[in-house]
Amino acid sequence: MKETNMTNAKISARAVQVYYGDNHAIKDVNVDIEDKTVTAFIGPSGCGKSTFLRTINRMNDTIDICRVEGDILIDGEDIYDAKVDPVQLRAKVGMVFQKPNPFPKSIYDNVAYGPKIHGLARNKAELDQIVESSLRKAALWNEAKDRLNAPGTGLSGGQQQRLCIARAIATSPEVLLMDEPCSALDPIATAQVEELIDELRQSFSVVIVTHSMQQAARVSQKTAFFHLGNLVEFGETDKIFTNPEDPRTESYISGRIG
Amino acid sequence: MTDTPKTSLLTVDARTRKRNAAEKRFKAYGIVAIAIGLLFLVVLLTSILRSGLPAFTTTVVALEATITQEDVDAAEGQLLKTAAYEALLVAKVNEFLVERGSTIEVDEDFITDRLVPKTGATIREFYKENPDQIGQTVTFDLPASTRISRYFEGDLLREDVTDSRFLEVADLDVVDVMIDAGLITTAFDWNFITGTDTAVDNPGGAGIGASVIGSFFMMIVVLLLALPIGVAASIYLEEFAPKNRLTDLIEVNISNLAAVPSIVFGILGLAVFIQFAHLPQSAPLVGGLVLTLMTLPTIIISTRASLKSVPPSIRDAALGVGASKMQAVFHHVLPLAMPGILTGTIIGLAQALGETAPLLLIGMVGYVAREYPDGIISGFVDSNSAMPAQIYTWAARADTGFYEKAWGGIIVLLVFLLTMNLIAILLRRRFERRW
Amino acid sequence: MPILTLLIALAVIAVVGFVLGRRRALASASGDSRKLHSLPSYYGYNAALTGLVPALLVLAVWSVAQPMVLENRAQSLITQEVADDGAMNLIMADVRRLADGLSTAVAQGALAPGEAATLTTDSTDVRAILADVGVALGSDVGPDTLQAAQAYRAGALSGALWKSALVLLIAIAGTAFALMKTNAAFRARNTVERGVMAVLIAAASIAILTTIGIVLSLIFNTVEFFKMYPAADFFFGTVWQPSFSGRGGASELGLLPLLWGTLYISFVALLVAVPIGLFAAIYLSEYAGPRVRAFAKPLLEVLAGIPTIVYGLFALLIVGPMLKDVFGADGALGVAWMTGDRAVITAGLVMGIMLIPFVSSLSDDIINAVPQAMRDGSLGLGATPSETIRQVVLPAALPGIVGAILLAASRAIGETMIVVLGAGAAGRLDLNPFEAMTTVTAKIVSQLTGDSDFSSPEALVAFALGMSLFVITLGLNVFALYIVRKYREQYE
Repeated sequence: MKETNMTNAKISARAVQVYYGDNHAIKDVNVDIEDKTVTAFIGPSGCGKSTFLRTINRMNDTIDICRVEGDILIDGEDIYDAKVDPVQLRAKVGMVFQKPNPFPKSIYDNVAYGPKIHGLARNKAELDQIVESSLRKAALWNEAKDRLNAPGTGLSGGQQQRLCIARAIATSPEVLLMDEPCSALDPIATAQVEELIDELRQSFSVVIVTHSMQQAARVSQKTAFFHLGNLVEFGETDKIFTNPEDPRTESYISGRIG
Repeated sequence: MTDTPKTSLLTVDARTRKRNAAEKRFKAYGIVAIAIGLLFLVVLLTSILRSGLPAFTTTVVALEATITQEDVDAAEGQLLKTAAYEALLVAKVNEFLVERGSTIEVDEDFITDRLVPKTGATIREFYKENPDQIGQTVTFDLPASTRISRYFEGDLLREDVTDSRFLEVADLDVVDVMIDAGLITTAFDWNFITGTDTAVDNPGGAGIGASVIGSFFMMIVVLLLALPIGVAASIYLEEFAPKNRLTDLIEVNISNLAAVPSIVFGILGLAVFIQFAHLPQSAPLVGGLVLTLMTLPTIIISTRASLKSVPPSIRDAALGVGASKMQAVFHHVLPLAMPGILTGTIIGLAQALGETAPLLLIGMVGYVAREYPDGIISGFVDSNSAMPAQIYTWAARADTGFYEKAWGGIIVLLVFLLTMNLIAILLRRRFERRW
Repeated sequence: MPILTLLIALAVIAVVGFVLGRRRALASASGDSRKLHSLPSYYGYNAALTGLVPALLVLAVWSVAQPMVLENRAQSLITQEVADDGAMNLIMADVRRLADGLSTAVAQGALAPGEAATLTTDSTDVRAILADVGVALGSDVGPDTLQAAQAYRAGALSGALWKSALVLLIAIAGTAFALMKTNAAFRARNTVERGVMAVLIAAASIAILTTIGIVLSLIFNTVEFFKMYPAADFFFGTVWQPSFSGRGGASELGLLPLLWGTLYISFVALLVAVPIGLFAAIYLSEYAGPRVRAFAKPLLEVLAGIPTIVYGLFALLIVGPMLKDVFGADGALGVAWMTGDRAVITAGLVMGIMLIPFVSSLSDDIINAVPQAMRDGSLGLGATPSETIRQVVLPAALPGIVGAILLAASRAIGETMIVVLGAGAAGRLDLNPFEAMTTVTAKIVSQLTGDSDFSSPEALVAFALGMSLFVITLGLNVFALYIVRKYREQYE
């Protein structure tokens, strides 16, 4: 345990196994994810990258047949410890989903939802402040400031996804998990979100699952390649894309598998 | 914003504790709601069983009699023939009492009015049909009076009995002796299953049989009309109808008809079938027509769902080998959808079987179920009642003795409904297909 | 010819038509079915249906029209003073019964066929003759009535004869016509399919005919009622007191007390059903594991499958006395609020139980339609499941749930048996839920099942009540179905 803290790791996974019923979805994954970096998980469909991402904030708890073994430590604390309340964990580890999923409420209420339930604001002024700064960080403030009371579902796809990012960062998490955040967006919206991810790196540790290798190359500093539930290779993004060690990584990158 | 102190995940803060408590409370509301719902169900079912099962049993008194040809001739010569036969039982009862060491002596009134009232006809009938039994010792199982059967079952206590025309306190001593000797027993009341409705002062003799037949003929009408019409309408709407104003109107119409109160269908039946078309009142045919109109929307909705669940690839395959659209539907889609259609139809029939309100308006009230129909045509057009309407009639009568019959009728009705639903479930299990 | 024989004859013609059509088609292709345009059996169906369908249509139209024509003709023979339509209806009922009676007498041999048509009231005691053959008449037969009945009977006899002849003729002619057209090139399948299509469309139109039938039967009788009783007094009257004598004219038939009772009982019912049903649905869809769900959901739905008469009896004999034991004079609380078993609360509580599964299964569907992404979004932010349900799922499902509650309300308003047995018989404008009140549906039943004749205002008021009930529930249903449909489209 000690040695994991010696590195600059925000999140450390040790011997993680995930089962869906009888299906062994994640096999013995060990990985250290650093603070204030963007880490990309890549791999073919069904390789377990999204599953692994969801174990980091225990979203898998909502699925009855899912079972997790091994340790996942955030700042040295095991998040699967019986004493840990997933509610508190998820406030610390935010998540953005594949499809933009704004609540059927106003833009303001969407962003204020997290701070309200976690009691982060003492009064209305503070709440306004949190909403404004989150929207600013998500690069949505200029577009949304005049229509904060309009429903979040009325925004365009790209705006909706940035709203979801603003919603996630409003609870001031330490880690931000993104599950293919651009897969439902057009290229222009994708570019905006990617730009945003790069900025978010200043304040958070960002983990992003992506199908697009180009996207991984553009936004991440570290890349992990998953294949059939195994973590095949993990390292600097440049190295993975230019000089992978494992033949499977190379075949995937050059388009022979996946 | 990020100035909140760094907290450990391993300690649960006060706010989270409060939120978790709220979570537990909320979950508990859900469990309580379900528990209340299930409690209601249990209370309902136990009330039905507790109040209804006695309707299926009757208290019988086994009385011996040795009646000779002279007795018969004497009785036939009297004005009140049946009462004369009852009087013939007195001697045997007194003989029996002496045998058991009792000093009481009973009179004719005890037998004819208070112990086994109105049974003279049964005895007379017996000897008419079995003249060879005259002179032999015969044991008659005779239905006990309401009060004595309540006393036997423990519902009526000796302390509560006051002398009346129906029962005297002294009678109970005789009854006790008879109970000790095993002469008074409980037997299954076949008359309740096979009998017909009775006059308002005779709850003991009332049976549900005639109205079961009435319900049966109604269900035949509903099945013969609602199934073909419902399937034809669904096929048109689901497979052929162009998207236009008219079909839109039909669709809205059907979903609204499904939610129209059943009593309105009763008004329709009264105005159209009886006042306008002069069909016979209280006839299962008319009841069936009304229930058909009422069940059609349900059957159409479920039939369309089963047609929709047949994948389009089946239709394409049939059209691809040169079948006409009509052939594709009738040869391929319809047979595949049939189990679902039948399930929906049975459930619709079950719904119709339990419906009461519209039947009351077209005159299918209980007291018309006095006799069985003579034949098939008569079964459709002669006045009859139906199970739920018969139950209503009993429940609305002043004599509380009918309440037990009403509950018993409910058990019979529920047994039919349960059977139909079980058939539907089995059909679904047996033929369910996942695409 | 009795109707059954006629139908059998038609069936025989159809079968013969089928066989001949098929054979003729095959013959025209010299036995080689490949040369035919359609399969051989289509030619058979064509021949059978071309005869059968028009014949059946004529039969149906004639059967409906004949009594009306005869009735008119018989009515014109009645010369005595007739007070109004109601009295005329009674006389016509006598005429019909008399006509039937004469036929029975002839059938049993009590009268010779010729005698039945010519006998007069001067020479014979018709009532006595009919009583002998088991037909009981309420009063002595007047000369007009007898004449009308004889005309009615004669018309019915000759009408039946003509009907059979015409129907058989059409069936045979249709079949013959189809047979004539049958040859190898005839597009039999297309013709048959067009016919089948027409049948399908006719079946689908029955739904519309039903609605038209409902609306017409309500409107005609309601208009009739308003001719005898002022509409304003009906809609705004605060007293419901029909006179029992029938046409005494002293009846006060105000809708408001009945409407109030209906709405009050429905409100109590929803007060029971909505919280229980909604929380049950939330628990089943959001918390319960598959095993609990598989066990609890069907059991709750059993409540929905129980006929309303059972609930009515339950209200009258179990719940009413039980409530009285608590709230009545010698009750557990010693408050003496409740004086009888029947009360708003009795009917409302039981109706609420009946509606629990209705609310819960509709809400369950609607809550399940809220996309999982919505829940994930909320849970991913660290919300507890209950926060997610209250602040995200329920607001998202709100329109659908409102629609479900409106549907439940419409069902409560239209429910009959529970209130007939459990609510009471007196119309009352009162706030006390332990008081007996009555409802629109209960009064429809009591006004139409009593002895008052169908043309008195006391009976016709039931149609005006039915009209009000129909309009209210239809409005609620249309609105609720619209909301639910819009809601579903939002997530599709």
